[in-house]
Amino acid sequence: MTARARTAGGGARFLDPGVLARIGNLELLARTVVDGFLTGLHRSPYLGFSTDFAEHRAYMPGDDVRRIDWRLFARTDRHYIKLFEAETNANVSILLDVSRSMSYGSHEVTKLDYGRYLAACLGYLSNRQRDRVGLVTFDHELVEYLPPSMRTPDTMLHLLDRVDPGRPGELAPPLLRATELLGRKGIVMLVSDLYENPEDVLAAVGPLRARGHDVIVFHVLDPMELEFSFEGASGFEDLETGEQIPVVPERVKAGYRRLMDEHLETLAKRFSDNRIDYLLLDSSKPLDDALFRYLLARERMRTAR
Amino acid sequence: MSFLVPLFLIGLAGVAIPIAIHLTRRQRRNVVRFPSLMFLEKIPYQEQRRRRVQHWFLLLLRALALALIVFAFARPFLDRSDLVAGTATGPREVVLLVDRSYSMEIGDRLERARAETADVLAGMGPLDRASLVAFDRNATVLVRSTTDRARLLSVLDTVVAGSDVTRFGPALRVAQTILEESELPNGAVYLLSDFQRTGWAADEGVGLPAGSEFVPVALGDAAPENVQIAGLSLPRSVDAGRERVTPTVRLVRRGGSEPIEVPVTLEIDGQPIGTETVELGGEGAATAVFPPVTVSRPHTRGTVLIPTDAVPADDRRHFVLSPGSVLPIRVVGAPGGGEDPNLYLERALGISQDGRFEVTARRGNGLAASDTEGVSVLVLNDVRIDGGAAERLRAFVEEGGGLLVAMGENAAWPASALDLLPGAPGAPRDREAGRGARLGQLAYDHPIFEAFSGPRSGDFGNARFFRARDVTVSDSAQVLARFDDGSVALAERTLGRGRVLLWTSTLDGFWNDLALQPVYLPFVHRIAEHLAGRTEAQQAFTVGQVLDLADPRALEAAGLVSSAAEGLTEGAEQVALTPSGAGVRIPADAETRYLTLTERGFYTIRPPGAEPDRPFVVAVNVDVEESDLERIEPDDVALQVRAVTSSAEGDGSRPAGAEMLVREDQERRQSLWRWILAAALGLLIMETVLSNWVSRRSTMASRTTEA
Repeated sequence: MTARARTAGGGARFLDPGVLARIGNLELLARTVVDGFLTGLHRSPYLGFSTDFAEHRAYMPGDDVRRIDWRLFARTDRHYIKLFEAETNANVSILLDVSRSMSYGSHEVTKLDYGRYLAACLGYLSNRQRDRVGLVTFDHELVEYLPPSMRTPDTMLHLLDRVDPGRPGELAPPLLRATELLGRKGIVMLVSDLYENPEDVLAAVGPLRARGHDVIVFHVLDPMELEFSFEGASGFEDLETGEQIPVVPERVKAGYRRLMDEHLETLAKRFSDNRIDYLLLDSSKPLDDALFRYLLARERMRTAR
Repeated sequence: MSFLVPLFLIGLAGVAIPIAIHLTRRQRRNVVRFPSLMFLEKIPYQEQRRRRVQHWFLLLLRALALALIVFAFARPFLDRSDLVAGTATGPREVVLLVDRSYSMEIGDRLERARAETADVLAGMGPLDRASLVAFDRNATVLVRSTTDRARLLSVLDTVVAGSDVTRFGPALRVAQTILEESELPNGAVYLLSDFQRTGWAADEGVGLPAGSEFVPVALGDAAPENVQIAGLSLPRSVDAGRERVTPTVRLVRRGGSEPIEVPVTLEIDGQPIGTETVELGGEGAATAVFPPVTVSRPHTRGTVLIPTDAVPADDRRHFVLSPGSVLPIRVVGAPGGGEDPNLYLERALGISQDGRFEVTARRGNGLAASDTEGVSVLVLNDVRIDGGAAERLRAFVEEGGGLLVAMGENAAWPASALDLLPGAPGAPRDREAGRGARLGQLAYDHPIFEAFSGPRSGDFGNARFFRARDVTVSDSAQVLARFDDGSVALAERTLGRGRVLLWTSTLDGFWNDLALQPVYLPFVHRIAEHLAGRTEAQQAFTVGQVLDLADPRALEAAGLVSSAAEGLTEGAEQVALTPSGAGVRIPADAETRYLTLTERGFYTIRPPGAEPDRPFVVAVNVDVEESDLERIEPDDVALQVRAVTSSAEGDGSRPAGAEMLVREDQERRQSLWRWILAAALGLLIMETVLSNWVSRRSTMASRTTEA
């Protein structure tokens, strides 16, 4: 199974990135995506499991039968479910790559836009899950750092709104700095295009995992980066270095795709070896796959506890 | 092969552009910004490919097209200066001066002029330019500086002999101007004429530019025998109340030896009315006198003619006659029983062959009502005038009358009307110093004294004046004559439409002896004519003169009888019919209404569309000076022109500017740049088609490989 085959696809999807691009407000965008996503799940995973009783509620089909208050059933002959106050039980940090290479987009949504939508949705979803959410933006160094907190969504959305992809990027230095800053173990979600050698990428991400974070890597790429379906001889300019080389796409396409596939496979394998969750995202595809990955990770964390 | 602007050849460096594009940037048509080149850089394929020329033919086409465009801009031409220098010393500006005076009518002179001109044109080099100038008294540029031989020849065919005289000066000056303004290094002036001596004045001051050649081409042979009408006088007389003229013709014969008889015919209004035959010896002259002819109708045309000979132009003489008008003059003399003060004056005015003056005289002081009625000129000869009479005189003068006041012993003038006179008369003063005063200072430019301006035309210096009145001349007056002591003798002022003359002595022999001098008669005649505003009518004009139709006095001098010329003096539109039948429109109310008389014969001037019974006619004759066929040696003219030329000549070398102009001229004629540009355009079109084809082919090949 190739890396490309593992990209999100098929089935009922939430809003297309092209449609999302027309929603100017990131909060509205995140709410729309997340609510739509949650409605489609069979279980209600977002109530906390703490010991602080909140209230009773009539049993509804689909509710976990283990949560029926049998004592109350005994008294009233009706099924009630005990609701507890959800507790804040995880630190979620989103690491968003805002280097210049992220500003590429062959269609109306750039990789950075896609990353911003993804970060906004993840932040919103985490907030609803009563998790503390933090944001780190970086290029070749740390750009912004918002520590995980329950009261940060607005600030985070504001930061996401004004990210500026103006500088070249490098993973190791900013991620090392982030490792130092993110003290408490939690979920770390890295959103980047990972244009570095797989070894270097792993060397940069590895410390996060070593500190005990549950690391999810969202590898965002544009369809043209995956397919390389350019036509006509052109000069190709590196967005970050400005270097130019003449390219006849028809002639280099095969070689490029081979190299790209090798790169993706190597990344997937290395991340898997290091128990880092890795997901390749096509910036033209919906966001729900990424959100589902987050929930899985959170579930894993809960069960692990 | 030379280039007019070789600096443009620097552009050939531009040929390297397509080569450089081929070698370095051929595949880089547009720029695609891509996130990272980390994979593309690992593909080693482009490095070799982009440095190899793939389509040599396309490259060649592009470079060649560019080179051709650069060549075209450099303005190439085949330098034939050596060829040109072999035939002459560079392109020439040729000026052909063709005589068209009436002496060119003799024999085949004009035909020869055409033939010689055609020869000169045929001998011109390919870069030579020629101008054609026809000349008589004036020079007319018919064609200016052209290489179009056919046009020159066709215009040459239109040159005909005119009626004017030969003058070389204006023609040579036109040639000088053309050569000076020419850009060509060399010049040549061909003067085609019969070289009459009368046409050349030694001090013409013509100086042709350096490097110019002057070639006189004599067309005339020996001067032919010629009889010409040298003069015509038309003295008038009044016989039984009818005005008559006696045409008197003077004939001159040039050449010949045996006496010949020449019939002279007089035509009046186109009808021959008499022929007189005169005998003319070799180089002789004779006069033919015709019987008096009555002049009864205005603008009567007359022609005197002799049989046509070698010079037809001087065998006819035209004139126009109108009945003269009689001038009524009233003379009022001082009363008294002594000598009649009017005697000399009356007699002098009464003596005229044509009876121009009708003099009535009386004696007595004051002014009678009849004195100003029906008269044009009033002479107050030593008369006392009172205030009332002075006012009547003022009215008379303002309405156009002429007044001569002679202030003698008896004369008195009211102080209230002193402004009527040119000055205030004082008391009589004796001029006893020496042998009396003399007239010392006369205004010869004034019409009264104009006739006496020439030598032996009347001597006022013999008259002695023993007494005269002192006069304080007013500002508006003009002093026409002074005595030798500076005091005023004759003063004039204009008042309204009339004139007043003040004579400070007497008109008889009492205070002076002028009346006894021969000059007295023409003097009083001139005074009377001037006061009446009458001028002598001109019976004929000479070719080349100009008639000012806007000037009533000029028209009157030309013999216009206003009653017969409708609207002419009022400035209405007129048409002048030339002797050759052409019409010249003279627009209404134009400030300048000049009619240049260029042909011999009769000019008829009338309102357009009108057919008046007796239209205003002007007779025009040739200047007989041209009939003097004595030749000046062409070489003499050439010598004099060259003498002026050599004094102004430089080192004779062709100037750098001229060299450049020769090159420009060659380039302009060859215009190779047009062909080269067309070739470049063709190459570019071919390149476009080819490169499109190549591009399509390579794209298809690449798709096939990919598939």
